[in-house]
Amino acid sequence: MEASDHLSTTFAALADPTRRAILARLVEGETSVSDLAEPFAISLPAISRHLKVLEHAGLVTRSREAQWRPCRLRAGPMKEVSDWLLRYRRFWEEGFDQMADYIAELKAKETDRDPDN
Amino acid sequence: MTRTIEATQGHELLIERTFDASPDLVFRVWTKPEHLMRWWGPKTFTTVAFEMDFRDGGAYRACIRDPEGEDHWMSGIYREIVPAKRIVMTFRWDDGAWDGLNNLITVRFEAAPGGGTKFSFHQAPFADTATRDSHVGGWTECIDGLAAYLEATA
Repeated sequence: MEASDHLSTTFAALADPTRRAILARLVEGETSVSDLAEPFAISLPAISRHLKVLEHAGLVTRSREAQWRPCRLRAGPMKEVSDWLLRYRRFWEEGFDQMADYIAELKAKETDRDPDN
Repeated sequence: MTRTIEATQGHELLIERTFDASPDLVFRVWTKPEHLMRWWGPKTFTTVAFEMDFRDGGAYRACIRDPEGEDHWMSGIYREIVPAKRIVMTFRWDDGAWDGLNNLITVRFEAAPGGGTKFSFHQAPFADTATRDSHVGGWTECIDGLAAYLEATA
Protein backbone atom coordinates (compact mmCIF):
# COMPACT_ATOMS: atom_id res chain seq x y z
CA MET A 1 0.00 0.00 0.00
CA GLU A 2 2.87 2.31 0.75
CA ALA A 3 4.10 2.12 -2.84
CA SER A 4 0.66 3.03 -4.21
CA ASP A 5 0.35 5.97 -1.80
CA HIS A 6 3.69 7.16 -3.10
CA LEU A 7 2.47 6.85 -6.68
CA SER A 8 -0.71 8.76 -5.80
CA THR A 9 1.42 11.54 -4.35
CA THR A 10 3.49 11.70 -7.53
CA PHE A 11 0.42 11.80 -9.78
CA ALA A 12 -1.23 14.45 -7.59
CA ALA A 13 1.96 16.55 -7.79
CA LEU A 14 1.98 16.19 -11.59
CA ALA A 15 -1.71 17.11 -11.87
CA ASP A 16 -1.05 20.86 -11.83
CA PRO A 17 0.10 22.84 -14.89
CA THR A 18 2.31 25.25 -12.90
CA ARG A 19 4.09 22.38 -11.20
CA ARG A 20 4.64 20.63 -14.52
CA ALA A 21 6.05 23.86 -15.93
CA ILE A 22 8.39 24.12 -12.92
CA LEU A 23 9.61 20.57 -13.59
CA ALA A 24 10.09 21.40 -17.27
CA ARG A 25 12.22 24.37 -16.27
CA LEU A 26 14.30 22.19 -13.96
CA VAL A 27 15.06 19.78 -16.81
CA GLU A 28 17.43 22.50 -18.04
CA GLY A 29 19.37 22.41 -14.78
CA GLU A 30 19.25 23.48 -11.14
CA THR A 31 18.02 26.94 -10.42
CA SER A 32 17.03 29.30 -7.59
CA VAL A 33 13.44 29.81 -6.45
CA SER A 34 13.37 33.41 -7.67
CA ASP A 35 14.62 32.39 -11.14
CA LEU A 36 11.99 29.66 -11.16
CA ALA A 37 9.24 32.13 -10.30
CA GLU A 38 10.24 34.64 -12.99
CA PRO A 39 8.30 33.27 -16.00
CA PHE A 40 5.13 32.76 -13.96
CA ALA A 41 2.54 35.41 -13.24
CA ILE A 42 2.25 34.26 -9.64
CA SER A 43 3.89 35.29 -6.38
CA LEU A 44 7.05 33.86 -4.85
CA PRO A 45 5.08 32.36 -1.92
CA ALA A 46 2.79 30.63 -4.44
CA ILE A 47 5.82 29.14 -6.21
CA SER A 48 7.18 28.03 -2.84
CA ARG A 49 3.94 26.22 -2.10
CA HIS A 50 4.15 24.39 -5.43
CA LEU A 51 7.79 23.51 -4.70
CA LYS A 52 6.79 22.04 -1.33
CA VAL A 53 4.32 19.73 -3.09
CA LEU A 54 7.02 18.67 -5.57
CA GLU A 55 9.55 18.17 -2.75
CA HIS A 56 7.04 16.11 -0.80
CA ALA A 57 6.54 13.90 -3.87
CA GLY A 58 10.31 13.52 -4.16
CA LEU A 59 10.32 15.12 -7.62
CA VAL A 60 12.48 18.05 -6.54
CA THR A 61 15.27 18.42 -3.99
CA ARG A 62 16.64 21.66 -2.57
CA SER A 63 20.25 21.88 -1.58
CA ARG A 64 20.85 22.99 2.02
CA GLU A 65 24.51 23.78 1.39
CA ALA A 66 24.47 26.77 -0.91
CA GLN A 67 22.81 29.85 0.52
CA TRP A 68 20.57 30.27 -2.55
CA ARG A 69 19.29 26.71 -2.03
CA PRO A 70 19.07 25.62 -5.67
CA CYS A 71 16.20 23.36 -6.74
CA ARG A 72 17.02 20.19 -8.62
CA LEU A 73 14.91 17.62 -10.44
CA ARG A 74 14.82 14.03 -9.16
CA ALA A 75 13.99 11.38 -11.74
CA GLY A 76 13.18 8.47 -9.37
CA PRO A 77 9.42 9.09 -8.99
CA MET A 78 9.11 9.74 -12.73
CA LYS A 79 10.54 6.28 -13.31
CA GLU A 80 7.79 4.80 -11.09
CA VAL A 81 5.18 6.67 -13.12
CA SER A 82 6.54 5.37 -16.41
CA ASP A 83 6.76 1.80 -15.03
CA TRP A 84 3.11 2.11 -13.97
CA LEU A 85 2.13 3.27 -17.45
CA LEU A 86 4.08 0.48 -19.11
CA ARG A 87 2.26 -2.15 -17.06
CA TYR A 88 -1.12 -0.75 -18.04
CA ARG A 89 -0.07 -0.35 -21.66
CA ARG A 90 0.67 -4.08 -21.83
CA PHE A 91 -2.61 -4.91 -20.11
CA TRP A 92 -4.71 -2.92 -22.60
CA GLU A 93 -2.67 -3.53 -25.78
CA GLU A 94 -3.10 -7.29 -25.32
CA GLY A 95 -6.79 -6.79 -24.58
CA PHE A 96 -7.23 -4.73 -27.74
CA ASP A 97 -5.43 -7.41 -29.81
CA GLN A 98 -8.05 -9.86 -28.57
CA MET A 99 -10.77 -7.27 -29.17
CA ALA A 100 -9.64 -6.96 -32.81
CA ASP A 101 -9.83 -10.76 -33.27
CA TYR A 102 -13.26 -10.88 -31.66
CA ILE A 103 -14.58 -8.01 -33.80
CA ALA A 104 -13.33 -9.78 -36.94
CA GLU A 105 -15.18 -12.88 -35.80
CA LEU A 106 -18.41 -10.94 -35.19
CA LYS A 107 -18.08 -9.18 -38.52
CA ALA A 108 -17.65 -12.50 -40.37
CA LYS A 109 -20.73 -13.90 -38.63
CA GLU A 110 -22.82 -10.87 -39.57
CA THR A 111 -21.67 -11.10 -43.18
CA ASP A 112 -22.70 -14.79 -43.22
CA ARG A 113 -26.09 -13.96 -41.83
CA ASP A 114 -26.74 -10.89 -43.91
CA PRO A 115 -24.79 -10.71 -47.20
CA ASP A 116 -26.06 -7.17 -47.81
CA ASN A 117 -24.58 -5.85 -44.60
CA MET B 1 -23.82 18.98 -20.43
CA THR B 2 -21.16 16.45 -21.21
CA ARG B 3 -17.56 16.93 -20.36
CA THR B 4 -14.92 15.50 -22.58
CA ILE B 5 -11.45 14.68 -21.45
CA GLU B 6 -8.78 15.72 -23.91
CA ALA B 7 -6.64 12.97 -25.23
CA THR B 8 -3.09 13.88 -24.30
CA GLN B 9 0.32 12.32 -24.32
CA GLY B 10 3.03 11.97 -21.73
CA HIS B 11 2.39 10.46 -18.34
CA GLU B 12 -1.11 9.43 -19.12
CA LEU B 13 -1.85 6.40 -21.19
CA LEU B 14 -3.04 6.95 -24.75
CA ILE B 15 -3.50 4.03 -27.14
CA GLU B 16 -4.83 4.51 -30.64
CA ARG B 17 -5.92 1.81 -33.04
CA THR B 18 -7.80 1.49 -36.30
CA PHE B 19 -10.29 -1.33 -36.63
CA ASP B 20 -11.67 -2.72 -39.86
CA ALA B 21 -15.27 -2.51 -38.59
CA SER B 22 -17.88 0.19 -38.12
CA PRO B 23 -17.89 2.42 -34.99
CA ASP B 24 -21.21 0.81 -34.18
CA LEU B 25 -19.68 -2.67 -34.02
CA VAL B 26 -16.52 -1.59 -32.18
CA PHE B 27 -18.70 0.19 -29.61
CA ARG B 28 -20.94 -2.85 -29.29
CA VAL B 29 -18.17 -5.12 -27.90
CA TRP B 30 -18.01 -2.79 -24.86
CA THR B 31 -21.71 -3.00 -24.09
CA LYS B 32 -22.41 -6.57 -22.89
CA PRO B 33 -20.68 -9.13 -20.63
CA GLU B 34 -20.77 -11.84 -23.31
CA HIS B 35 -18.75 -9.54 -25.59
CA LEU B 36 -16.38 -8.19 -22.94
CA MET B 37 -15.53 -11.62 -21.57
CA ARG B 38 -14.19 -12.57 -24.99
CA TRP B 39 -11.47 -9.95 -25.12
CA TRP B 40 -10.96 -8.14 -21.77
CA GLY B 41 -7.53 -8.38 -20.15
CA PRO B 42 -4.09 -9.67 -21.16
CA LYS B 43 -3.74 -12.69 -23.47
CA THR B 44 -2.66 -15.22 -20.87
CA PHE B 45 -5.48 -14.21 -18.47
CA THR B 46 -9.07 -15.46 -18.54
CA THR B 47 -12.01 -13.19 -17.78
CA VAL B 48 -14.13 -15.23 -15.36
CA ALA B 49 -16.74 -12.63 -14.40
CA PHE B 50 -18.18 -9.44 -15.84
CA GLU B 51 -21.20 -7.81 -14.23
CA MET B 52 -22.33 -4.49 -15.62
CA ASP B 53 -25.11 -1.94 -15.53
CA PHE B 54 -24.36 -0.23 -18.82
CA ARG B 55 -25.83 3.26 -18.40
CA ASP B 56 -24.63 6.68 -17.18
CA GLY B 57 -23.89 6.25 -13.47
CA GLY B 58 -24.11 2.44 -13.66
CA ALA B 59 -21.43 0.20 -12.17
CA TYR B 60 -19.37 -2.68 -13.53
CA ARG B 61 -17.25 -5.32 -11.85
CA ALA B 62 -14.98 -7.80 -13.56
CA CYS B 63 -12.57 -10.54 -12.61
CA ILE B 64 -9.59 -11.87 -14.54
CA ARG B 65 -7.74 -15.09 -13.65
CA ASP B 66 -3.98 -15.13 -14.14
CA PRO B 67 -2.05 -18.16 -15.46
CA GLU B 68 -1.30 -19.22 -11.86
CA GLY B 69 -5.03 -19.37 -11.15
CA GLU B 70 -5.20 -16.27 -9.02
CA ASP B 71 -8.20 -13.94 -9.44
CA HIS B 72 -7.95 -10.16 -9.81
CA TRP B 73 -11.10 -8.07 -9.38
CA MET B 74 -11.61 -4.62 -10.82
CA SER B 75 -14.58 -2.26 -10.85
CA GLY B 76 -15.79 1.17 -11.86
CA ILE B 77 -18.66 3.45 -12.77
CA TYR B 78 -19.81 4.47 -16.24
CA ARG B 79 -19.69 8.25 -16.25
CA GLU B 80 -20.81 8.93 -19.78
CA ILE B 81 -22.04 6.72 -22.60
CA VAL B 82 -22.62 8.06 -26.11
CA PRO B 83 -23.49 5.12 -28.42
CA ALA B 84 -20.95 4.50 -31.19
CA LYS B 85 -18.99 7.59 -30.08
CA ARG B 86 -17.66 7.56 -26.55
CA ILE B 87 -17.53 5.79 -23.17
CA VAL B 88 -16.14 7.45 -20.06
CA MET B 89 -15.66 5.22 -17.03
CA THR B 90 -13.72 4.95 -13.81
CA PHE B 91 -11.45 1.97 -13.16
CA ARG B 92 -9.83 0.56 -10.02
CA TRP B 93 -8.36 -2.70 -8.78
CA ASP B 94 -10.43 -4.00 -5.90
CA ASP B 95 -7.84 -6.24 -4.27
CA GLY B 96 -5.33 -3.39 -4.03
CA ALA B 97 -2.63 -5.83 -5.00
CA TRP B 98 -1.88 -4.01 -8.22
CA ASP B 99 -1.60 -0.30 -7.46
CA GLY B 100 -4.63 0.94 -5.53
CA LEU B 101 -5.19 3.99 -7.74
CA ASN B 102 -8.47 5.26 -9.19
CA ASN B 103 -8.38 5.89 -12.91
CA LEU B 104 -10.55 7.61 -15.45
CA ILE B 105 -10.80 5.87 -18.81
CA THR B 106 -12.14 7.49 -21.99
CA VAL B 107 -12.63 5.41 -25.11
CA ARG B 108 -13.61 7.04 -28.39
CA PHE B 109 -14.94 5.57 -31.60
CA GLU B 110 -14.66 7.64 -34.75
CA ALA B 111 -15.59 6.72 -38.30
CA ALA B 112 -12.45 6.27 -40.41
CA PRO B 113 -12.23 6.38 -44.22
CA GLY B 114 -13.18 3.07 -45.82
CA GLY B 115 -15.78 2.16 -43.22
CA GLY B 116 -13.33 1.46 -40.39
CA THR B 117 -13.07 2.92 -36.92
CA LYS B 118 -10.41 5.10 -35.39
CA PHE B 119 -10.35 3.97 -31.79
CA SER B 120 -8.63 5.78 -28.95
CA PHE B 121 -8.17 4.75 -25.34
CA HIS B 122 -7.10 7.21 -22.68
CA GLN B 123 -6.38 6.45 -19.03
CA ALA B 124 -5.24 8.76 -16.25
CA PRO B 125 -5.20 8.31 -12.49
CA PHE B 126 -7.00 10.67 -10.13
CA ALA B 127 -6.94 10.93 -6.37
CA ASP B 128 -10.19 12.87 -6.00
CA THR B 129 -12.59 15.06 -7.97
CA ALA B 130 -10.29 18.09 -7.91
CA THR B 131 -7.38 16.09 -9.23
CA ARG B 132 -9.52 14.47 -11.88
CA ASP B 133 -10.88 17.81 -13.04
CA SER B 134 -7.40 19.24 -13.29
CA HIS B 135 -6.71 16.60 -15.93
CA VAL B 136 -9.42 18.03 -18.14
CA GLY B 137 -7.17 20.74 -19.55
CA GLY B 138 -4.62 18.16 -20.54
CA TRP B 139 -0.94 18.11 -19.73
CA THR B 140 1.52 20.67 -20.94
CA GLU B 141 4.37 20.25 -23.35
CA CYS B 142 6.77 20.05 -20.42
CA ILE B 143 6.05 16.36 -20.18
CA ASP B 144 8.07 15.79 -23.34
CA GLY B 145 11.01 17.42 -21.61
CA LEU B 146 10.55 15.18 -18.59
CA ALA B 147 10.45 12.09 -20.76
CA ALA B 148 13.68 13.16 -22.42
CA TYR B 149 15.21 13.80 -19.02
CA LEU B 150 14.12 10.40 -17.83
CA GLU B 151 15.74 8.72 -20.83
CA ALA B 152 18.94 10.65 -20.32
CA THR B 153 19.18 9.61 -16.67
CA ALA B 154 18.01 6.00 -17.07
